[in-house]
Amino acid sequence: MFTVKDYRDALAEGYLLASKCRRCGAVQLPPRPICPRCGSGDLESLKAPKRGRVAAYTVIHVPPSRFKGEEPYAVAIVELLEGVRVSGRMLDVSEADLRVGLEVEADVIKLGEEPLLCFRPLKRP
Amino acid sequence: MGLQRGVAIIGAGMTRFHHKIHADKTGRDLFVEAALEAMASVDNGIELRDIEALFIGNFSSDSFEHQGHVAALMADWLGLTPRAATRIEAACGSSGAALNIGVMAIASGLYDVVMVGGVEKMRTLTTEEVTDVLAMASDEVYEAAVGFTFPGLYAAMATAHFHRYGSTWEQLCAVSIKNHHNGSLNPKAQFQEEVIDIARRLGERRGMTFKDEMEFLRSPLNPVVAYPLRLFDCCPISDGAAAVIMASEEVARRFTDTPIYVRGIGQASDTMALHDREDLTSIRATRLAAQQAYRMAGLGPEDIDVADVHDCFTIAEVVATEDLGFFPKGEGGKAAEEGRTSLEGDKPINPDGGLKAKGHPVGATGAAMAYEMFKQLRGEADKRQVRDAEVGLIHNVGASGATVVVQIYGR
Repeated sequence: MFTVKDYRDALAEGYLLASKCRRCGAVQLPPRPICPRCGSGDLESLKAPKRGRVAAYTVIHVPPSRFKGEEPYAVAIVELLEGVRVSGRMLDVSEADLRVGLEVEADVIKLGEEPLLCFRPLKRP
Repeated sequence: MGLQRGVAIIGAGMTRFHHKIHADKTGRDLFVEAALEAMASVDNGIELRDIEALFIGNFSSDSFEHQGHVAALMADWLGLTPRAATRIEAACGSSGAALNIGVMAIASGLYDVVMVGGVEKMRTLTTEEVTDVLAMASDEVYEAAVGFTFPGLYAAMATAHFHRYGSTWEQLCAVSIKNHHNGSLNPKAQFQEEVIDIARRLGERRGMTFKDEMEFLRSPLNPVVAYPLRLFDCCPISDGAAAVIMASEEVARRFTDTPIYVRGIGQASDTMALHDREDLTSIRATRLAAQQAYRMAGLGPEDIDVADVHDCFTIAEVVATEDLGFFPKGEGGKAAEEGRTSLEGDKPINPDGGLKAKGHPVGATGAAMAYEMFKQLRGEADKRQVRDAEVGLIHNVGASGATVVVQIYGR
């Protein structure tokens, strides 16, 4: 059974841990103990792709106390696979360039001791 | 499924919602004030001993007041002991969820008369601390930890909605301007001032003049909270309480000739994290809760004369009016801009000023919506009265939509 620690440990190692249902094939990121589509508990681990597109975003100007001083900072919901999305911090992008559909790539940085999922715009060669 | 027996609201009361005037009061003081007003509003009178159970919506008195177990506390302070008293927590949907449980408690036959209310005393903390407490209603591990705030989640919905439907921030401003207008007519509202009057007042102080609301709303006096949402897109932090008294259909007429009947109820949940929702431009739990309530009532969105919807942010009102079926998907913003949701419009929304202007002491909001419908459907809403209102709907949301409660009332 997947736990929050499994996801965090994977993040610390630099990858995104998802779960895939062996019965119906649904993918969940972060991984879940039970498949929300079919109810099966028979799940396998899957490394989610790191590239995706911004599905929604915001720029936080009034931060919670733990991120005080970092504002303004951007946060996005990124779609990595069809219907599979995750929330992360946006880095290296100006407010003017941030938009729905922007192609991004995941990275993990350290925020104190905690790994933080973040995304950067995909650099086209 | 319908109710095993009919349920009606026979009385309702609330404190004014406010960020300052209740500074010297605790949550218990506020709830007692609302409860006593509800008792006094019962046309033929009611005694405390008539109330058989108490259901209290409250999000986080633990964080705000260092006080847990508040349902028993309120029963104690109202002199209701040894009646059963239960706290219900569903973030900003707490007292909406309590309303549903109150209805079920009577419909089951267990009780004939219950009190349902909500209370939140938030102004004990700074804005930053309140932001922290409210963020607890999102997914701590996967949303709050990367930097999402509560306004941030609704802001993200707004960007998705703008992208898909071409709706605009200017349309959101129409919601804010309308709700401030309605608030200016409501003596219980936190803000009883039109946006244009606020613009004049704040402008004078800084030597600035604004030709209209939009110029003010685009100015630095309306700072960005979470892009694209600015201060006037966000409901305030408030202290307040609200309470209603419910009775079975059989006994309701003993207390009043004008009970307001519960025609339908609905409730649904969804994923905690916004990113896991099937659609970022819609709240599925709203659609499902509304379906249940419409079906039970045998009514549709076209039958609703007046509605209180959960406008914690302006985008939330736009999305709610679409998900409740009042307007086609993607046209909620346009409808607001065209004035269709104003008091004189064909679908008046938030006649009391909504969360935006009336205020949002989170745990009290659902009960305060029921209060407003009680007044509207009895024709007692004075300057904010919607003409000929016979069927009303309330829509109360927990956090970004992981809990939604809908109730429909009729005369």
